[in-house]
Amino acid sequence: MARPAEIVCDALVIGGGAAGVSAAVELARAGLRVELAEQRASLGGAYHRQPSGTTATTSARGRRQWLRLTAGLAHFAIAPRLRHVFLGVDTDGLGLLDDREAGRVRTVRARALVVATGAVERILPRPGWQLDGVMTAGGLQMLLKETGEAPPGEILVAGNGPLNIALAADLVRLGRPPVALVEAGDPAKNLGAALRIATFPGLIGEAARHLARTGFAGTPWLRGATVTAIERDGARLAVSIEDRRGGSRRIHGDMVALHDGIRPNDFGLPAVSIGEPIVVRAGDCREVLGIRGAEADGIAAAREVMALLSGTALHRVAPEVSRQRRAQALLAELFRPVREHDGLRHLPDETVLCRCEGRTVGELRAMLAGPDPIGLREVKLNGRFGMGVCQGRFCADAVGEIALAARPDLAAGPLSRDRWPVRPVSIAALAAPDESRGE
Amino acid sequence: MAGIIGGKSVVVVGAGIVGAATTYFLSKRGFHVRLIEASAPASAASGAADGAVSVASKRPGPMMTAALRGIALYRELEREGLFAGLFKSRPTVMVAENDSEVESLLGHAAALAGEGMRLRHLEGDALRRRLPGVAPHVRLAVEVFDEGHAIGYEIVRRFIAASGVPVERDSPVTGLAANDAGTSVAAALTAGGAVEADHFVVAAGGGSAALLGLSEAMRPRKGQLVVTERAPALAASLPGSLMSCRYLLSKDAIRTAGEASGRRFGLVIDPLRTGQFLIGGTREDRDDTGNDHDAVGRLLAGAVRLMPALARLRAIRAFAGVRTAIRDGLPIVGRVPGFDNLFAAAGFEGDGICLGPLMGREVSRLVGGEAADLDIAPFAPGRFERRNLVA
Ligand SMILES: Cc1cc2nc3c(=O)[nH]c(=O)nc-3n(C[C@H](O)[C@H](O)[C@H](O)COP(=O)(O)OP(=O)(O)OC[C@H]3O[C@@H](n4cnc5c(N)ncnc54)[C@H](O)[C@@H]3O)c2cc1C
Ligand SMILES: Cc1cc2nc3c(=O)[nH]c(=O)nc-3n(C[C@H](O)[C@H](O)[C@H](O)COP(=O)(O)OP(=O)(O)OC[C@H]3O[C@@H](n4cnc5c(N)ncnc54)[C@H](O)[C@@H]3O)c2cc1C
Repeated sequence: MARPAEIVCDALVIGGGAAGVSAAVELARAGLRVELAEQRASLGGAYHRQPSGTTATTSARGRRQWLRLTAGLAHFAIAPRLRHVFLGVDTDGLGLLDDREAGRVRTVRARALVVATGAVERILPRPGWQLDGVMTAGGLQMLLKETGEAPPGEILVAGNGPLNIALAADLVRLGRPPVALVEAGDPAKNLGAALRIATFPGLIGEAARHLARTGFAGTPWLRGATVTAIERDGARLAVSIEDRRGGSRRIHGDMVALHDGIRPNDFGLPAVSIGEPIVVRAGDCREVLGIRGAEADGIAAAREVMALLSGTALHRVAPEVSRQRRAQALLAELFRPVREHDGLRHLPDETVLCRCEGRTVGELRAMLAGPDPIGLREVKLNGRFGMGVCQGRFCADAVGEIALAARPDLAAGPLSRDRWPVRPVSIAALAAPDESRGE
Repeated sequence: MAGIIGGKSVVVVGAGIVGAATTYFLSKRGFHVRLIEASAPASAASGAADGAVSVASKRPGPMMTAALRGIALYRELEREGLFAGLFKSRPTVMVAENDSEVESLLGHAAALAGEGMRLRHLEGDALRRRLPGVAPHVRLAVEVFDEGHAIGYEIVRRFIAASGVPVERDSPVTGLAANDAGTSVAAALTAGGAVEADHFVVAAGGGSAALLGLSEAMRPRKGQLVVTERAPALAASLPGSLMSCRYLLSKDAIRTAGEASGRRFGLVIDPLRTGQFLIGGTREDRDDTGNDHDAVGRLLAGAVRLMPALARLRAIRAFAGVRTAIRDGLPIVGRVPGFDNLFAAAGFEGDGICLGPLMGREVSRLVGGEAADLDIAPFAPGRFERRNLVA
């Protein structure tokens, strides 16, 4: 029984990045009625979207990809629903979209869902990471793109992975080289991986270009080093850095950009399911595979949906996806942190862990140390870890890791279950009258 | 037999608020308690409830009497320090939006006053001054004093920590085994083996039906709730929880709009210590813990109608819990007939946060061989016909 306000379709694709758009086009090609929802005001995702709302990509290959994908949308007359935030699937099997333009939540009756919500930055907790002036490298990069200039003051970039190099290069380009680029890995030394990565031209080319730019600007590139603390020092921030031999130094700055890699953006999202509605994942939200992998994975996801709808199970095989998986593995090896990961055992007790609720590492350890073998859900409820507005996006991984380090017997599991709303949603939008709802 | 030598061991089945309270009071009496839980403490109703510790919502009779005692115990345990920081003392404000609600609210207020509850009626300017955030169409408010709020899972944790009893998690009790004479329970059966004890207390919420052979009398009643982001100023403008009179109607068998689908809507807007609002809840004849857009939308539409500024806030979480209701609307508390060492405390429907500590203490008295302190005769387990208690 469809309600008047309900959107009815065969497949709802969530996320307008390369993976979502390619999945939508492929599903439409097979004759399915497709809806494509994107939370932002324009399509493109992490790679193709430009701040002005246009979607011009810098590399020629990237531009070709985006032209191909948008031509597909036009050809099959898929009108994306922009500024529609996916909230989850309810117990009636309805997909819920927060239509920010209209200020109301819309329900979607779909036989299948393709979740292609991309990746989010991973930020490891460190003492002082909650201070004003500390932000994520991705957030800063977005700011640079949007304003075309760097915020005032000296900027230190720290963490792990290629994105930090790209950010440093952007800062150099804007005439504001960072005071230091602190990298936990040592990509310069990992020659073997670097050589093998050369067989994936897209990947190494960009990194090398970025690096050359940063190097020329005289920014110190501290490899095998980590930020152990950030403190306020008058109007500035004092950043303590430890090198691979345990030596330490302090560098002052006005702003710190942190980034420790990316992970699938799957917080609270519905689990993969072969029942109705069918739920599959695609792109970075399934597995971080980069931009070429995303397009291929979108197509593979669409084929999986079609197979499931026709009652056959399909084992997803896509050569390009496997190839990009190898590339990502090499990239990970190249940037592998020099120091062994210690399950965050090194963090001092006073480190803030949950920034929304101001809960510390010590409070978590104390909860786990008692004689009663408390479980993760109890930790969440009673410790308020992951209970804040960010719904655990920033702390869930770290809470799990610290908990496991303290109590290896704990059953590992996600801190949050798949519950809607996966994002905070206006009460007015949820309460908006639905014609079917007789008052 | 262990029972004759020690006489002091008890198995408590279920670590919700009732089992946790029972464990605490038994430990204080020197019993050796094993608390056996199917999954984790507060994993069922006690971890998914609003936490009104309230007389206002009760009907005159044994439940109202029990609730008065339940609140008194909360205050006592707060004074003793056990509940320090967990009990928020605040009034309940019941509101009526139309003629028929005004009528039922006036009647209910008279009944509450008759039980000695302190309350006052608010209308016109006095109502607007006391409740500036409440919509102008609200006709009448009755502020019931001396009530409070507590969060179920926090109380559970406090009881368990204070009892020093480690919870035996992830071990469902699959049945109870009688002794040869069939007069006592000898052991609780779990996948890890039979657990013997001198006394057994079944406080397993909805799981009690199967263990006690009372499936006919018990039924699930799901409730959906929504939590908002923090809005300390708005939360502070409400002196206590705001309860629509419709809540009383939803508790009754009276048919309202959603009734056809076995679903009724009560409405309580509860300002929490954190500055967040808890908005609830539905009463549905089903036992899953999911949320649906239709119910959440209706709940919030009702909340916004009552308190328009809520429309500007964001909802950050929705959840649902399952209450265990008993056919005649009264819980089951007491010794189970036919067995000299088996006790039950379950079926508290929407009142177990308020009554849990009290009922835990009552059961600990029964196990200790004393008479209950409260008249629990109306809650006697023997009032229903039982099928197949023991495995
Ligand atoms: C700065 C930067 C540089 C990069 N450089 C390279 C590179 O040089 N080479 C390379 O191979 N890869 C690069 N990548 C990675 C590449 O961008 C990703 O692999 C690719 O974008 C993944 O595509 P996707 O469609 O899976 O996800 P995304 O492109 O991230 O798209 C996901 C979309 O989902 C939307 N969304 C998320 N949640 C919701 C919701 N709840 N409701 C509605 N919509 C939602 C998002 O707004 C977004 O538009 C880079 C990434 C970044 C951030
Ligand atoms: C939405 C909602 C709102 C509510 N609001 C209020 C309110 O405002 N005020 C109020 O006073 N009350 C309220 N309640 C009611 C209150 O939550 C319950 O009455 C109370 O939590 C019941 O506690 P309990 O210990 O009896 O059961 P539960 O909390 O259900 O605990 C039973 C425990 O037993 C375990 N168990 C079950 N079977 C077995 C087995 N075979 N072996 C071992 N363990 C087992 C379960 O896992 C569970 O942990 C509300 C309830 C809901 C759902």
